[in-house]
Amino acid sequence: MAILEVRDLKASYSSSGPEILKGISFEVENDDFFAIIGPSGAGKSTLIRCINRLLEPSSGSIKLNGVDVLKLNNKELRHLRRHIGMIFQEFNLINRMSVMDNVLSGRLGYVGTLRSVLRIFSDKDIQNALMLLERVGLQDHVDKRADELSGGQRQRVGIARALMQEPTLLLLDEPTSALDPKISREVMELIKDIATELKVPVLCNIHDVQLAKETCNKIIGLQDGYKMFDGPTETLAQANLEEIYSMEVL
Amino acid sequence: MSQLHQMSGKSDATKREWSRFKYPQSLYKYGITLGVVLFIIYSLHYLNVDLSRLFGIFGRLGDLLANRYYPPDIEYIKDADYIGSIIETIQMAYLGALFGILISIFLGWFAAYNVSPSRRYLYPVARVVTMLFRSVHEMIWAILFVTILGFGMLPGVLALTMFSVGFAGKLFAEEIEAIHMGEVEAIRAMGGNHLQVFVYGVVPQVRVALTGIAIYTWDVAFRAATVVGFVGAGGMGWYLKRNVMQIETHRTAAILLSILILVIISEFISAWARNYVSKAK
Ligand SMILES: Nc1ncnc2c1ncn2[C@@H]1O[C@H](COP(=O)(O)OP(=O)(O)OP(=O)(O)O)[C@@H](O)[C@H]1O
Ligand SMILES: [Mg+2]
Repeated sequence: MAILEVRDLKASYSSSGPEILKGISFEVENDDFFAIIGPSGAGKSTLIRCINRLLEPSSGSIKLNGVDVLKLNNKELRHLRRHIGMIFQEFNLINRMSVMDNVLSGRLGYVGTLRSVLRIFSDKDIQNALMLLERVGLQDHVDKRADELSGGQRQRVGIARALMQEPTLLLLDEPTSALDPKISREVMELIKDIATELKVPVLCNIHDVQLAKETCNKIIGLQDGYKMFDGPTETLAQANLEEIYSMEVL
Repeated sequence: MSQLHQMSGKSDATKREWSRFKYPQSLYKYGITLGVVLFIIYSLHYLNVDLSRLFGIFGRLGDLLANRYYPPDIEYIKDADYIGSIIETIQMAYLGALFGILISIFLGWFAAYNVSPSRRYLYPVARVVTMLFRSVHEMIWAILFVTILGFGMLPGVLALTMFSVGFAGKLFAEEIEAIHMGEVEAIRAMGGNHLQVFVYGVVPQVRVALTGIAIYTWDVAFRAATVVGFVGAGGMGWYLKRNVMQIETHRTAAILLSILILVIISEFISAWARNYVSKAK
C-alpha cells in the first residue's frame, strides 16, 4: 500500500516566476528507500520541500497515509509535520545549543509551547534521546555544543533529531553532500539501517548515483522539473542515466 | 610569454574590453558624485561660514569657561537632594531601557520579515510603530508625557521607554532579518509553532548581537535621562535647567561636570560589558 502519493505536482517560487516542478507523480510504499537523482537545478530540493509544504505547491495533490496534505490548515499542518523527519545537507542544527538539546528539540511539536520554551522535556524523551545518541555513536558528545562537532558527527545529530520525532516518513535533502566519500557511505548506511529497523520509508535527494544505487531500492530521475525515470534500482540502465543527465555519465 | 597567454587558443592580438561601471551606471555614478560635491559647496556658500569666526569660537569658549564657570561649585553637587536626583536619573534610565528592550524584542521579531508571525498584519504594523518611535525625539516624548501625567519620574521613564524602543526596535529587526534560515526551516519542518521557531531557531543566533544592542540602548537612554528633567520629567535635568535659568554658572558647571563623569563611568561599564559578551560568543 502506498504511504505517500504524489499526483501531478507543480511548484514555483513566485507566482510570476518559472515553474520548477512541471507535474510530478509518484508513490512511495511502506518499506521504500527512494533516491531522487538528477542534475543540479532539476528541482530535487524543491520536490522534497513541497512534501511537507515548506514550499507551497501551486497545484497537484499529496496524500500521506491517506491525508490530503495540501488541504490542511496551519495547525493541522504542524501536527502532520511532527511525523515527518527531515535531514538537511547543511545539517541545520542549532549551533549554539548542546547536542542533547538539539536532539530533544525533535520533540518540539509534541511538548507544549511553554514547556519547550523552558526546555522542560519528559523523562521518556530524555531516555529516548540518550538511546538514539548511543545508536548514532555520539554517546561521548552529549553535552558538547553542536558547532564543536565534525560534519559527520553533526549529521548524526541531525539523524537523531529526526528520529526523535518518531517519523512516519523521512525526507533527506542531500544528507551527505557536505561529507567526504567515506563518511558519506557510513552515514548513508546508518540511515538505511535505522530506516529498515524502524520500517520508515525514506525519500532521499542524492547527487552520488553510485551511492544511490548502493543504498536505495527505488530511484526517481528528475530533469528540469520533469520525471524522467521511476523504478526499482536494478532497472536503472545507462541509457536512463544519460537521459536524466543529458550527458555522458561515468 | 606568460603562462596565462598559453591558456587561450585565440591569438593575443584581440584586446578584451572591460570596465567596472558600464555605460548607464557609470553616468549615474559620476552624476551623483558631482551632485554631492556641488551641494556641499553650495551649502557652505549659503551658510556663509566665516572660518576665522568658526575657530574664534574656541578662544571665546575658553575665556567664558575660565572666567565665569570656573571653579565649579562642588559643594552644590554633594547636596543630598542633588545626589537623590542622580539616583533617580539612573533609575529612570534603567527602567526606561529595560522596558524599551523588552518591547523591542517582540517588536523586532514582528518587524523581521523572514520570521514575523504574520507577514500580512503584524509585520507592517510593527514596521510603522518602530518608524514612528524613531522619528520622535526623546524631549518631545518627555514633553508629551509631562503634559499628560504631570511632573515626576513616571513621564521620564515612559519617555525613555519610547526612546529606547525607537532605538533598539529597528536594530533588533535588522539583526533578526540577517540570520541563517536553515535553523528556522529545521524547526518549522518538525512542526514548531511561531514561538518555538523564535526561541529555538532565532534567539540562539541573535543572542549575542541583541545583548550588544541592549547595552548600547542603556548607553543612549542614560544620556537622554540626564536631560529629560529639563521639561520636568524627573532626574538631574531639572537642576540643570534651574541653574541655567538663574545664571548660576558655577553650579551649572558642577552639574555638567557630574553628568560628564557619570556618562564616562557608564561608557566604561558598558564597554566592559560589551567586551565580555562578545567573548562569550
Ligand atoms: N528560494 C528560491 N527562490 C527562487 N528560485 C529557487 C529557489 N530555490 C531554488 N530555486 C530554483 O529552482 C530550481 C530548482 O532548484 P532546486 O534547489 O530544487 O534544485 P536541485 O535539484 O535541488 O539542485 P541541487 O542538486 O543543486 O541541489 C533552480 O532553477 C533554482 O534556481
Ligand atoms: Mg538541492
